[in-house]
Amino acid sequence: MEQVIIITGILLIILGIFGIIRSRNLVKIVLAFTLFNTGLNILMISIGYIRNAGAPILSQIPGQGEIPNIVDPVPQALVLTAIVIGLGVTALMLAYVLKLYQDKGTLDINSFKDLKW
Amino acid sequence: MVKNTLILLLTLGIGLIMYDVYEDFKFQESLPLLGDYYARNAASETGSANLVTAVVVTYRGFDTLGEVSILFLTASIISFMFKYKEEHATKKEYRPASELLISSTQVFTPIMLIVGIYIFANGHLSPGGGFQGGAVIASAFLLMLLANPGMHLSHKIISRVESISGIGFVLAGVAGLVYAGGFLDNTVLSKGEFGHLLSAGLIPIIYIFIGLKVGAELSNIVSTMSHLPKENN
Amino acid sequence: MVGPIYIIVIALGIAFTLGLLGKASKSAGWVFVLAGLAAMTFISAQWLVALLEGSIQGIQIFTAGYKPPYSISLQMGLEEAILTTLINSLGLLSLLYLGKEMVQKGVEILMVFMVFIMSMNVTIMTRDIFNLFVFLEIETIALSGLILLIGRKTAFQAGIKYLIISGIASGLLLIGIILAYSHVGTLDINGIASANNGLFRIAPIAGFLILISFIIELKPFPANGWGIDVYSASHPGIGALISGASATTGLYLLYKVLPVAGEEYLYFITLIGAITFIGSNLTGTAQSQPNRLLGYSSIGQVGLVTMILGLQPILGDRTLYLAFTIIISHYAAKAGLFWISGMVNSSSIKDWSILRKKPLLLVLFGAFILALIGFPPFPSFNGKWEILMKLGESNQYHWIAVILAGSFIEAIYLIKWLGYAIKLDEPVENQSNFHLTKQIPVWIMGLVLFGMGYYLNPFTHYAEAINYIPLLFALLLFAIDFLPVSIKNTITIAGLAYYFMLLWPAVEGDLLRQIFLVMFLGGGILTLLAGYSKKGKRPGFYSMAILMYAGLAGLLTAKGMYDFFFSWEVMTAGSYFLIIRGKRSLPHAYSYMLFSIGGAYLILGGFAIAAASLNGTSLSALSMVTVLPTWVYALIAVGFMTKTASLGLHIWLPGAHGEAESDVSPMVSAILLKAGVFGLLLLFISIGATNPHSQEIWYVLGWIGAITTLMGNMSAAFQEDAKRLLAYSSIAQLGYILFAFSMMTHIGWLAGFTYTINHFLFKAILFLIIGAIVVKLGTHNMYEMGGMIKKMPFSFIAVLISIIVIGGIPPLSGFAGKWLFYNAILEKGWYFQGALIFFAGIIAFLYLFKLIFSVFLGQVKDNHRNMKEISAWVLIPSYILIIGIMLFSAFPKDVLTPISEMIMPYFTSETLVWDGTKAMTSMGYWDGSTIMIVVGTAFMLLLGWLIVLSAKAQKVEQFNIVYAAERPFRPETTHVSHNIYAGYKKAIGFLVSPVITVFWDQASTFVLDFAGWIRRIYSGSIQNYAIHVIFYIVVFYLISLGGL
Repeated sequence: MEQVIIITGILLIILGIFGIIRSRNLVKIVLAFTLFNTGLNILMISIGYIRNAGAPILSQIPGQGEIPNIVDPVPQALVLTAIVIGLGVTALMLAYVLKLYQDKGTLDINSFKDLKW
Repeated sequence: MVKNTLILLLTLGIGLIMYDVYEDFKFQESLPLLGDYYARNAASETGSANLVTAVVVTYRGFDTLGEVSILFLTASIISFMFKYKEEHATKKEYRPASELLISSTQVFTPIMLIVGIYIFANGHLSPGGGFQGGAVIASAFLLMLLANPGMHLSHKIISRVESISGIGFVLAGVAGLVYAGGFLDNTVLSKGEFGHLLSAGLIPIIYIFIGLKVGAELSNIVSTMSHLPKENN
Repeated sequence: MVGPIYIIVIALGIAFTLGLLGKASKSAGWVFVLAGLAAMTFISAQWLVALLEGSIQGIQIFTAGYKPPYSISLQMGLEEAILTTLINSLGLLSLLYLGKEMVQKGVEILMVFMVFIMSMNVTIMTRDIFNLFVFLEIETIALSGLILLIGRKTAFQAGIKYLIISGIASGLLLIGIILAYSHVGTLDINGIASANNGLFRIAPIAGFLILISFIIELKPFPANGWGIDVYSASHPGIGALISGASATTGLYLLYKVLPVAGEEYLYFITLIGAITFIGSNLTGTAQSQPNRLLGYSSIGQVGLVTMILGLQPILGDRTLYLAFTIIISHYAAKAGLFWISGMVNSSSIKDWSILRKKPLLLVLFGAFILALIGFPPFPSFNGKWEILMKLGESNQYHWIAVILAGSFIEAIYLIKWLGYAIKLDEPVENQSNFHLTKQIPVWIMGLVLFGMGYYLNPFTHYAEAINYIPLLFALLLFAIDFLPVSIKNTITIAGLAYYFMLLWPAVEGDLLRQIFLVMFLGGGILTLLAGYSKKGKRPGFYSMAILMYAGLAGLLTAKGMYDFFFSWEVMTAGSYFLIIRGKRSLPHAYSYMLFSIGGAYLILGGFAIAAASLNGTSLSALSMVTVLPTWVYALIAVGFMTKTASLGLHIWLPGAHGEAESDVSPMVSAILLKAGVFGLLLLFISIGATNPHSQEIWYVLGWIGAITTLMGNMSAAFQEDAKRLLAYSSIAQLGYILFAFSMMTHIGWLAGFTYTINHFLFKAILFLIIGAIVVKLGTHNMYEMGGMIKKMPFSFIAVLISIIVIGGIPPLSGFAGKWLFYNAILEKGWYFQGALIFFAGIIAFLYLFKLIFSVFLGQVKDNHRNMKEISAWVLIPSYILIIGIMLFSAFPKDVLTPISEMIMPYFTSETLVWDGTKAMTSMGYWDGSTIMIVVGTAFMLLLGWLIVLSAKAQKVEQFNIVYAAERPFRPETTHVSHNIYAGYKKAIGFLVSPVITVFWDQASTFVLDFAGWIRRIYSGSIQNYAIHVIFYIVVFYLISLGGL
């Protein structure tokens, strides 16, 4: 069952990268980028998974030497950070795309080749 | 044609790399070094019932400061990008929103604001926290803007809230440095009684700052974008 | 001590507070941020100072009060202190520089700027890999915002490219991080690194992903189109930050995560660095847009440092220091260049000639360029030297070749640019703005560069402070550049004289060096005397002359290869700036510099390989080379031969010497060429006559010398330009010298020394006088001169005497040279070469006759009727030199005997035996003094008789000839000395067809075309750039699979 999650994550990553190098439309590139990010997040969150363990929220302070039966809280914290970063980057990308669209009235990447060589 | 083949080959190559990632991926049988430490000690050290929050706000609080900075940066850059257009923009005509949207906005906005505040204030006890709460608050503002497109959110207030909560976050960190073990140490305040709202030292306060800041930053982005001049084509 | 964490507190506190300021007080925000940056700089600088003094240890800061790996920790050690100081101070200066733009654009961009600087501080200090990821993202986002400062639409294109590519890179980093975490259960960099040495090491795939993402951030060639776009689209003030701060940080991060990935990737890193260093510089050669060019150069330099990091196993614990020498040079130079670019504000490097209005900036520009290439006294010179020596010791020849080739390619475009700024006409229109607040940061960076060159000195065990004294003198001369020529000339001459006295004891008892010291500094003083005839201020001339002479003198006092090479480069730089002063010198100085740098790198390569088998780098140890000795000797010899302009490497000389100023030509010809001779002599002496590894080399060099002579003389004979004729004659004379020394016999060397001394004497005279005449008559073409014998009798006599010496006609010292020369050839048995030389000697008469005939004899041209004798300041040094010729001719024994004794230990072959004034070999004898007396007496008698006869002579008026009715199409072609040797040209002219010039032309065209072709991959399309990056990653993954 866990394999499905990883494979989903990995497929999303591959799909995302494929989309980034294949698309000719800027918005699609940004969408592909979010797919890539989502795949990453899935991969991250699944790394902390432990079979039959609970959420990392305790009802009481564990005693000396006692290990609560919970999943690893670290990947969850990391993924929270990663999501926020992904949000920021995506928002910025979309703002750029909007600006580029206002400039040339098109989203085709081939119209934005003013800088070269 | 050549390009498409190349793209296909590259995707295969990435597939190969990701296959190796898959091969290397191993599910945990038990908690690893860090997770194990947090499971045993985080609750007693920070007083937070939600261990993720303990990690996010205290142990890796420095990351969180970075996250807040990222949103802050994004908001600043976006408002920088669109600033000049805004000044020259003429008064825009908006299509009025639908009755349904307007009515539901009136019902939901206060609820969303309260839920948002609840989420970040209880971050140390239940799932949630500053980012989630902030996002809910910002969506309340988004909803208001959708219902009333001509509405003008005061930039001044937003940026005040943003600045003050940001400074608050940093100062809370410095308080940890001065009065406790290190930057962002939450034990400046008493850890309180485990599982209560007023517990876990600085964590709820920091999360309130974060919640306000995230809410203000996202609202800032939303409102900047909503006042863009109409396209000419 | 203020804790390093306050750097972050201050930065974020100020960034957040800016929002409260509102729109009312724009400049208040700027001042606020400036103060914050000053505070940050202060904090990191105080740590730096304390750590350098050793009064404290580096510390670790635990956030949240828990020890790592349980919380994020920051580290402040020496490395971090250095880097954060660099970054914060660059931020401070950049903000100062950007002042007006920043204030106008409002408070948001200030926030972004502040967070940008903060993020780099954290990435440097943090020891947690996920935290590193977070602040790397902050840096990326902040940078994508700063790009927009310029307000051009292209900035948006650069920004989105940058965001997408770094998004991919950071995504891969994240995969690597979580994989690593799943294996070792920690995010602490030290923790992962130590786990790597144990049982639970992270998988290669995790290491690869972490590493490749940091590499992508460093913009490796060729997957770096997006990076170059960022450089070219952003404001130069931001470009300075990207190049100086961002790239520096990126390199340190790569170093930091290397242990995480594992040591097996080191080779891989070196390879990537090498490809980037060469590739990026190569594409740079075809670039003419300043910011983009700087981008290429930055990426190239980053490649070099990447290589250094990858070479850790060889460089050992010096790695960081060596990387630092390159980084600090790059940091200061690139920041300065970007800032100047912002002030010049043009889209073409050709417009940089506007800098001539700001001499100080021009000087700094030159310093920045030279620092990038790796000239002394800048830190990059020491760094490159030590890296190459270490590589040589470990037999890593291919990396030596890569570093030298990359540096050379970089020099191609940087020197071109420098030349443009010095020489091209100032642009008609310009939008330059040299506001003082923009200039001050550039000055500071200049100070940093010079200061670091001096300060890093104690850290290299090679360098000595004495190397810097002449450089200081050059700086002093630059400071008094506003004074008139006569004062500066006097000061310079006094300086040289003082230096001569200072050095004379140092070379006591070492005749070889004494001879060359007299030629270098004595010759320098004499040629400088001619400078009194110049008017105006000659800005910069004297500083550069001092540089050249200091370099020349340094060659003589050098004990080790390092000192020698240091002086060699100082001399090269100084002479370049002297040569380029001529009116039409730009292309010639350029090719001179390229050949010189190329030659210097060959020498350096030779030294480096030699270092493999020597303990230490003393010059005399060259004889004990055991590893690849033939290669070492050949490389060094060819290197020196670029300076002596031997066949194939000579094409720079005619232009460089011919077009130089009238008093520079004798300096570079009579004096500078001898530096190459001195180098060859040192090399030959170290090798030893009987060394089995060098016999072929001498044979080849002999042939090269012979052919050079023939070719030089023929080319001289067909010249119409008086100074070029002399220049070709120099090539030929140096051919004789090379030939003579290559024979490696006692008499051969005596001939070589005689030729060297003679060439010094007569070429100085000829270039001084002909140069002055050329200026006076306003033409280089000999057929436009004539009849000067009556107007300039003293010049005529001087030229006549010189010609007699060159021709080897008794009684003057030229004959002594010839006599020894043919004796040596017969003894050595190099008959074929000897025949060539003999033939060349006959051709020499053709050009000598042409020279004296066309200039001094014949009819005076109309426009030259009122000419007077050339300045006494030119004649005085010439006649002093003539006295030298006379003494040498009359008393050859007094010169040749000590030389003979000096070279005695080196050869077992036959020596010259003296019987009174008679010199004898097995072939015959010659008595210089007697011949002098006999010929002198005969000459006096003849002269007296002619004077008596001349009383009865009848004068023929100039117009007493018959004119043709027709006016010729090009009147000058009717002049007798125009194409005077047309017949010979028809017969043997094909021998001087410019095959070699054509070869070098085509080589350079090929390089430029190739570069132009490569840079087509930078098509500007985001999609293509993403494909490049993915391609790069996949290819290197496959390589790492195969190689690891």
